[in-house]
Amino acid sequence: MKEVEKVFIGGLKEELMEDKVIDESDLVPGLAEEIIKYGGKDVMTCLQCGNCTGVCPISLKIDYKTRNMMKCCQFGLKKYIMSTRWVCATCYRCYEHCPADLNPAEVMIALRHIAVREGIIPPFVKVAATNLIRYGQSVRPDEEIDKIRKELGLKQVHTHEEAFKSVIREIQVLVHASKYDKLLGIEEEVKV
Amino acid sequence: MAEPANQDKDTGAKTPKKEDGATAEPKIGVFVCHCGSNIAGVVDCGKVREAAEKLSGVVVAKENKYTCSDLGQEEIIKAIKENGIERVVVASCSPRLHEPTFRRCIERAGLNPYLLHMVNIREQCSWVHSHEKEKATEKATDLVKMGVSKAGMLKPLVAREVPVEPVSLVIGAGVAGIQAALDLANMGFKVYVVETQPSIGGKMAQLDKTFPTGDCAICILAPKMVELARHPNITLLSYSDVEEVKGYIGSYEVKVRRKARFVHEDKCVGCGLCTEVCPVKVDNEFDLGFGQRKAIYVPFPQAVPLKYTIDKQNCLHFKSGKCLLCVKACSNQAIDHKMRDEVLTLKVGTIIVATGFDTYEPMRKGVYKYWEFDNVITGLELERLLNASGPTAGHLVRPSDGQVPKRIAFIQCVGSRNKKINRNYCSRVCCMYAIKNSQIIMEHEPETDIAVYYNDIRAFGKGFEELYHRVREDGVEFIRGRPAKLTQDPNTKTITIRAEETLLNKITERDFDLVVLSTGLIPSTGSEKIGKVLSLTVSSDGFFAEAHPKLRPVDTAMDGIFLAGCCQSPKDIPDSVAQAKAAASSAAAPMFAKKVWIEPLTAVVDKELCVGCGLCTELCPYGAPELVPGEKGGMKANVIEALCHGCGTCAASCPQKAIAPMQFTDVQIFSELEAALHDKKQNGKKKAEAEVT
Amino acid sequence: MINASNSYLYFFGCVIPNRYPGIEYAVRWVSGKDGFNLDAKDNLEFSCCPVPGIFYSTDKDTWLLLAARNLVLAQNERRQIMTVCNGCLASLSKATEYLQEPKTMGKVNRTLAQIGKKYTGVPVRTEGKRRIFEPVKVRHYVDIMIKDVGLEAIKEKTTHPLKNIRVAVHYGCHYLRPTEHAAFDDPNDPVMIDNIVEACGASSVDYEDRLDCCGAGGGVRSHVVDLANALTQDKCTKINAAGADCIVTGCPFCLLQFDNAQKSFSKEGIPVMHVSQLQALAMGIDPISLGFDTHHVSAHSFLRKLRGH
Repeated sequence: MKEVEKVFIGGLKEELMEDKVIDESDLVPGLAEEIIKYGGKDVMTCLQCGNCTGVCPISLKIDYKTRNMMKCCQFGLKKYIMSTRWVCATCYRCYEHCPADLNPAEVMIALRHIAVREGIIPPFVKVAATNLIRYGQSVRPDEEIDKIRKELGLKQVHTHEEAFKSVIREIQVLVHASKYDKLLGIEEEVKV
Repeated sequence: MAEPANQDKDTGAKTPKKEDGATAEPKIGVFVCHCGSNIAGVVDCGKVREAAEKLSGVVVAKENKYTCSDLGQEEIIKAIKENGIERVVVASCSPRLHEPTFRRCIERAGLNPYLLHMVNIREQCSWVHSHEKEKATEKATDLVKMGVSKAGMLKPLVAREVPVEPVSLVIGAGVAGIQAALDLANMGFKVYVVETQPSIGGKMAQLDKTFPTGDCAICILAPKMVELARHPNITLLSYSDVEEVKGYIGSYEVKVRRKARFVHEDKCVGCGLCTEVCPVKVDNEFDLGFGQRKAIYVPFPQAVPLKYTIDKQNCLHFKSGKCLLCVKACSNQAIDHKMRDEVLTLKVGTIIVATGFDTYEPMRKGVYKYWEFDNVITGLELERLLNASGPTAGHLVRPSDGQVPKRIAFIQCVGSRNKKINRNYCSRVCCMYAIKNSQIIMEHEPETDIAVYYNDIRAFGKGFEELYHRVREDGVEFIRGRPAKLTQDPNTKTITIRAEETLLNKITERDFDLVVLSTGLIPSTGSEKIGKVLSLTVSSDGFFAEAHPKLRPVDTAMDGIFLAGCCQSPKDIPDSVAQAKAAASSAAAPMFAKKVWIEPLTAVVDKELCVGCGLCTELCPYGAPELVPGEKGGMKANVIEALCHGCGTCAASCPQKAIAPMQFTDVQIFSELEAALHDKKQNGKKKAEAEVT
Repeated sequence: MINASNSYLYFFGCVIPNRYPGIEYAVRWVSGKDGFNLDAKDNLEFSCCPVPGIFYSTDKDTWLLLAARNLVLAQNERRQIMTVCNGCLASLSKATEYLQEPKTMGKVNRTLAQIGKKYTGVPVRTEGKRRIFEPVKVRHYVDIMIKDVGLEAIKEKTTHPLKNIRVAVHYGCHYLRPTEHAAFDDPNDPVMIDNIVEACGASSVDYEDRLDCCGAGGGVRSHVVDLANALTQDKCTKINAAGADCIVTGCPFCLLQFDNAQKSFSKEGIPVMHVSQLQALAMGIDPISLGFDTHHVSAHSFLRKLRGH
């Protein structure tokens, strides 16, 4: 939406904008089917009652409404929901309260799948995946914490041990078999 | 059953040797229908007709544009007479549509109507294979081949007549039951009305005013209730339950338990002296717990019959043996704590089920906090509070402090349109009763702020949209959004509703003094038991299933049993009354005719093969087979034809193959299979031979 | 009476061993010979569950493979998995549900074959020629405490009741929802952690909107940490209003969120700890073993109050 010029209209200050009307060129066909493919259930049955927005903790805090996200999915208004894919805390309140038995949290998960396959990958995803491939854990081991473990009498984080290398190998085989490494662009980490 | 038959080399059709009633090679006529373009647009009817002509036993094969039309039927009759046809095959639509039509048609031509076989080449062929015309034609040809084979094995059958008692039973005396009973009684039939509550009237008696006109519910209902009680043709059995029903249309045997009131109905004059002295106070069910009643009570002032009833659970005398204050107060010696239940047996010809509905009970610890917050009430509770003879004499006050509420919210679709709780249907009346109640409240207290939280407003009926418009003129606000959270101020008990107002695109929080949950309708608690007693099926929403959703809305799958009112599906009073009148008219038909024909497509037992194991009696959903002593000793199965629906469950399970429904014996069915697979078998044999050589 | 028939495998996940080892110590201590002496051991081949916010969000196939691998380890030892994290509970129990579908299980096993593993579930009995399998049981630590150990046993072992301590319990989202997976406590009115707190001699305070989300899950903390912290701030305001001395939770990720977020909006935060740490204190452990130094919000004043100062 572009600001064209400021115009004083009958006592109101309004900014003129282009694109007040959405037409077919804004719509992406097949978005609803793609969402079903990734486990999002049929968004077309959403009645837009607004219960999901009402229970959503995120909708209370930012300019985001779960119901609008579902509507955009129905229409295929992909560009309106590009930036909201990672704000959902997957608390599943929406699923618990939906009278049509839909799952907006799963729709968000499906949108994330679509985004990642279009190359939109948040950096923390790559970091966690890399940690998993290197250490078998998504959280990188920390030397300071390891010292504290020793003080407490706990064994060292065993991911350093030789014996664990077979586990790491197994993880790498699986991640490679599902082409996840390729999807995230971290093939060089995988050594199988 | 029959001996294995001869097999035709070309078609594989089996013809029976010599069975009673069936000729060795009956002459078969085949009529292939175009059904305009419904069939002909996909299936090449000419080819099907040609192939049929070549089948063994077929003497004439014709095509027709609309076989069910007068012209088409005349052609069939002509062909039968000219060619001496003995079995008729009509290849057209589903038998569910026109089987009776064609049966009557061939009967006019002088044939037994059960010598007709219909082959479905529309719903099961042209309509589902519309993109594969060649294959559809092949399938139609095969289906006709199968049909011809079976037709050759049809036996003439005779429908049986049974008498019909001109007496009807109406179960449930809400507005639907009352209307149905009155209509039947006015037609001259004797009617028994059985009602489980101490008084008739049902839920309508609890309502305040009705939509869309604002008529007072009990004011328009009470005259009908009195008329029913006084009608010479009606016997009212109130405070009674139907316990068992045996028999079939025309002669049902019904066991009714008259529960003990502990008050003799013929002596009680309804003076009320007993209730004045009774020391026990309990929550009044009629007022949904908002008011109180005594242990000896009438449910409401306009009760019919106006006879007192003792609530055994709470009566002091039953609990501790003391207190006979009511007995002392009664000047007619009507009270008798020693009364017992009475069981009657009634013989009736037809039954109308009008067991009504209950309202949905909101969940504990649910979002709407019905059990946790005092100022959240249901729609029916609101009706009692608004009602002039209710617990607050018609003054709407908040349960928490008795103050007049200035801000009221209605929440729609509570317990309805919700897949999560398995109540996915719309209860139909809630939009209008919320609108109606808003109007009543605005009339009493014009300064009230009312908001209706809705998902859709369904104001579909006569006068409904006008009332919806009227309340918007009065200032009632309609908020589109499903409330997500209710919280309560601990001191004022003011309720805050948080919801996304979808039309504003904002999440809002609003405060209210009173919240009314427009709860939906669910099948009444007694209906499950009645359903089992009468072998009634239910639809996916839990209400009783009608025989056909469009064309038979008051019939059930059981002949002679009809449905009226909300027990079939949620509806308002005009629709309940209309359906009750329809049920009465349907029930009257067989009773006026004094007899009904039972279709002979029922199961028959070969007593020689039957060993009396009783498996069929256990499995039959209609209770049709029974074990009777055999002529030569032992027990044999015997089918009560009037109860049998020809479903074939018995035939499928009989270990001796001793029982089968007529026209669907194993021999008949296998002949169809042989006809269908014969060619493929021959081709397979040829292929196998070719491979070997 | 302790139900001694169940045997478990410890599943500590990623956050606890690498960020809050005190919780690991507490869990081992409470379930070990100084505590309830449960039949629980380690399996050193467990990997990340895998964390749902990352893997379930980006590729369900990969997530299921990694989860199935962990489940196979438990299946082969015929032990239940004891999770101490809501996220691990969600991930692993959802995986057992997906694997009940034969087609899915077949597909997963075809890949697992590459690492010599096969998921079948745990064999429970034989019917004729067929072996009947049950899905691997994944259970939350709190579920095990309430159902297998029992409140009576917890009360008995409370040798150092936490008198005068007011606890705000944070259940977290994946403990409660979706109801088909997290079915051990009442999703509308959970009580199990409150009961454990009371059995330890402390009092559980009710606070407004106690079932609200901490804000961290689903990748929110990683992607938009300000949003996560805003949600946490709401919770902390309400917890403070109720006058709690500490926050107790069953999830290390919620713990991490409370622990890290408070410095962005308050000078003195409320200490937050895992249920097991609270239990261990009530059972007489030396607090130094609980590793409170790794916590960002100091537990100093809380421990002073505990000692009666």
